[in-house]
Amino acid sequence: MNIAINIQNLNYAYGKYVVLKDVSFCVKRGDFFIIIGPNGSGKSTLMRLISGIIRSKTGQLDLFGMPMQGYNRKALARTIAFVPQMVMVEFPFTVSEVVLMGRSPHQGILGIEKREDLEIAKQAIAFTGLEHLSHRKLTQLSGGELQRVYIAKAICQEPRIMLLDEPTASLDIAHQIRVMDLMETLKEERGVTIVMVSHDVNLAAMYGQNLLLLKEGQIVSSGFPGKVLTYETLEHAYDCTLLVDDSPLGRFPRVTLVSQRVLNLPGRSKSI
Amino acid sequence: MQFSIREGRGCAVLTLRWYQRGVLKPAVMIVLVFLLCPVLQSNARVLIDQMGREVNLPDDPQRVVSLAPNVTETVFALGQEHRLKGVTLFSNFPPQAKAIPRVGSYVQLDLERIVALRPDLCIATKDGNPKETIDRLVSLNIPVYAVDPRDLDSIMETILEIGDILDARKEATALVNRMHSRIQNINVRVEHSTTRPSVFYQIGISPIISAGTHTFINELIVLAGGRNLAHGPVPYPQFSREQVLALSPEVFIISSMSRKAIFEQVKREWSKWSGLPAVRNQKIFLVDSDILDRPTPRLVEGLERLTRLIHPELFEETK
Amino acid sequence: MNTRAPFVLKRIFVVSFLLLILLGVGMFLGLSMGSSGSGMSPVLESLFGARGPDSALMDTIIWKIRFPRVLLSALVGATLSLGGLVFQALLRNPLAEPYILGISGGSAIGAITGILLGFSRFPGVAAAAFAGSIFTLFLILVMSSGQSIIKRDSLLLSGVMVNAFCSAIIMFLVSLTRDSRLHNIIFWLMGDLSSGDMHQVGILAATVLPCFCLIFFFSSPMNLLLMGKETAQTTGVNIKAVTLILLVVTSFAVSATVSQCGLVGFVGLVMPHLLRLLFGPDHRVLVPACVLGGGAYMVFCDLLARVLPEQGEIPAGVITAMIGAPLFVFLLKRSGR
Repeated sequence: MNIAINIQNLNYAYGKYVVLKDVSFCVKRGDFFIIIGPNGSGKSTLMRLISGIIRSKTGQLDLFGMPMQGYNRKALARTIAFVPQMVMVEFPFTVSEVVLMGRSPHQGILGIEKREDLEIAKQAIAFTGLEHLSHRKLTQLSGGELQRVYIAKAICQEPRIMLLDEPTASLDIAHQIRVMDLMETLKEERGVTIVMVSHDVNLAAMYGQNLLLLKEGQIVSSGFPGKVLTYETLEHAYDCTLLVDDSPLGRFPRVTLVSQRVLNLPGRSKSI
Repeated sequence: MQFSIREGRGCAVLTLRWYQRGVLKPAVMIVLVFLLCPVLQSNARVLIDQMGREVNLPDDPQRVVSLAPNVTETVFALGQEHRLKGVTLFSNFPPQAKAIPRVGSYVQLDLERIVALRPDLCIATKDGNPKETIDRLVSLNIPVYAVDPRDLDSIMETILEIGDILDARKEATALVNRMHSRIQNINVRVEHSTTRPSVFYQIGISPIISAGTHTFINELIVLAGGRNLAHGPVPYPQFSREQVLALSPEVFIISSMSRKAIFEQVKREWSKWSGLPAVRNQKIFLVDSDILDRPTPRLVEGLERLTRLIHPELFEETK
Repeated sequence: MNTRAPFVLKRIFVVSFLLLILLGVGMFLGLSMGSSGSGMSPVLESLFGARGPDSALMDTIIWKIRFPRVLLSALVGATLSLGGLVFQALLRNPLAEPYILGISGGSAIGAITGILLGFSRFPGVAAAAFAGSIFTLFLILVMSSGQSIIKRDSLLLSGVMVNAFCSAIIMFLVSLTRDSRLHNIIFWLMGDLSSGDMHQVGILAATVLPCFCLIFFFSSPMNLLLMGKETAQTTGVNIKAVTLILLVVTSFAVSATVSQCGLVGFVGLVMPHLLRLLFGPDHRVLVPACVLGGGAYMVFCDLLARVLPEQGEIPAGVITAMIGAPLFVFLLKRSGR
């Protein structure tokens, strides 16, 4: 099945407040798919719909050819893993305990770990560079480390699709690159389809194979970064002035924010 | 004469109702009781207690546990304290009772302590003793005889019954006769009074609580020639200060318990209300609650005390 | 991590074994000590067949009076600790305790109504208390079903409101009563472990033990629930079903204990935290730990409640707080949090 996610005519509203209007798109298997857009564009809602946290009454949502309703919860968890933005945890689980919980969709009712589960967890911890922290409690970790724990746990689910909700939102630049590189490695080595919501347009440009630009619940543009990230589409979506040129690092766009002061400098035209 | 006969194995116990004005002669009663209740030589007998339960009683109980302070008092009054091996926490009269081992309070009995005393008989009261504990005692093969004294009549009945089960029938009859004659005395005196003063009897401090119709206190007040201002269906009605003032009691009685100081304070507070007839005529008194509230022989003493307070004029010719 | 044997099973066994020993010691001491005297030899004699002159009496005291009580304490401690654990997981709130969802209020009103109507303690008042708490649980579920049941705040708030309202009604009813039944009400509100004989304790055991087993099977989902609603859902937990089942089963067990012996406070709040400090937050270990450790704790507390005062006994809820609070603070300090 070549299409990982197939969405047709998806609508969603919170009560009377319409969040997604007639959204249709596809995600190919093994793709690095990044959803961008301003606040309130419906990105998070879309993410929740894809992960199964909320269900829409209208429209079609197929995963690898089978409709969402056809998956039971555990089967869904073995197909899609979700990494939330940031969660406050009051209870002092250790890193290894949390990562092991990711094996739950593959386990029986009591969740007694088998040798194989422990192996997979060990690998996930190694993959995310957390070996030296495996006995540390969650409450003692930094933001970046916590994010990696959730990723390691998601990896343990052995999903075919990895969903990440603004994974770089509260990370420093080093950790941002680290997480994105992790995802890229996951995609390359294991063929996992990566679907991500991001607020960072440049990271999206650098890593994304296919982008989706949303505004007010509707698709503004979709396709490869060069197509989606033009100053017309971006200024329309974000309603602010931006400079778009080619990145010196490769064949993808570079987006630069323009401050009011720079705009008003004499000798510069408004439209760049 | 009204009587009921309860039959046990080989023994008919005659219990009699006493009218307030006392038509019966005590002597006749003594004779009848002796004639109709032969002493048996068997080791145990079955009686029906005041709650209708069948109880297997030993003939000569040597290890009795009293499950209420009024029962303790009664046993002492019958001179049978040598049989008592355990009493409840507030068995404070007579003073010798304080030396007997405690088995918890009468609303929270200590099952273990009772059992450890190896009783051959327990005497319980319906009002207060938790039924579950009684049932458990019975299930451990300990006979429990329950009494339910609700008024002067049934108190005297209770004394006779306790006398019967403790092999002290003579003492019981004598005690009851003494009580009866003292009550008669009061009745006769009160007949001569022309007034029926209104009486307010205060039990609780805050809120103010008095005693309704179905209490000992009411019965005593009526017998003592007074009018209970709190009469009514509610056994312990609450009053606000305003209501009490509106009732204008001519006699005010404050029931006091061990810590007297507090009740003195209460008396002082009421004494400020000079509008009250009781205060004007200096008829506001403190009385020890135990003699007015416990269903024991001392209730007669309480009656006498009360009559002296309500109708002092009836006692002019000193006795 | 021990990759040889399943790691968590080993931990479960070790923890359970330790706490089982503690429970055993507690029960033995509980049988040896009481208001009529203390001594281990009568218990040993009774267990191992030696017969002395006082044997029959001691047998009665030990097995007919103390044993039901010790057993009841263990069951109550186990149920309340487990109840606290489950509610803390379901509501993701460390302040949750087993009575929080209206159980204390509803059962108290049921019990007081039963007492005022003159029912006997068992089965009358017990049944009334049970009915009361199930009714309030139902009320709360209905009240918070407008929002999704997994929205923990609505459950919590509904529970707090119902409890507050019930407290007011209880105070009102208590203020109207002025006879010996008032004593019964107050004892019930403070927790009364002296109430049961073997028959009643047996019924309670038959009611709550299956609940323990059922809750144990949900330990893994409970772990995930603590990681966050969305994380749990996307790791394969059916949050709605798990929440509802755990809620009903736990409330059922807690209601059964309340109907037998009234409200015993503090155990359900502090035992889960205590055990978590000692054994970690994994519910697969904590569920048996709460059952055995909570039971042991209650047995010890009841022992002190019976033996410390010269006359009468300290109410169950009082002693659990007096012992538990300092113990918890001590452990907290030691864990260096």
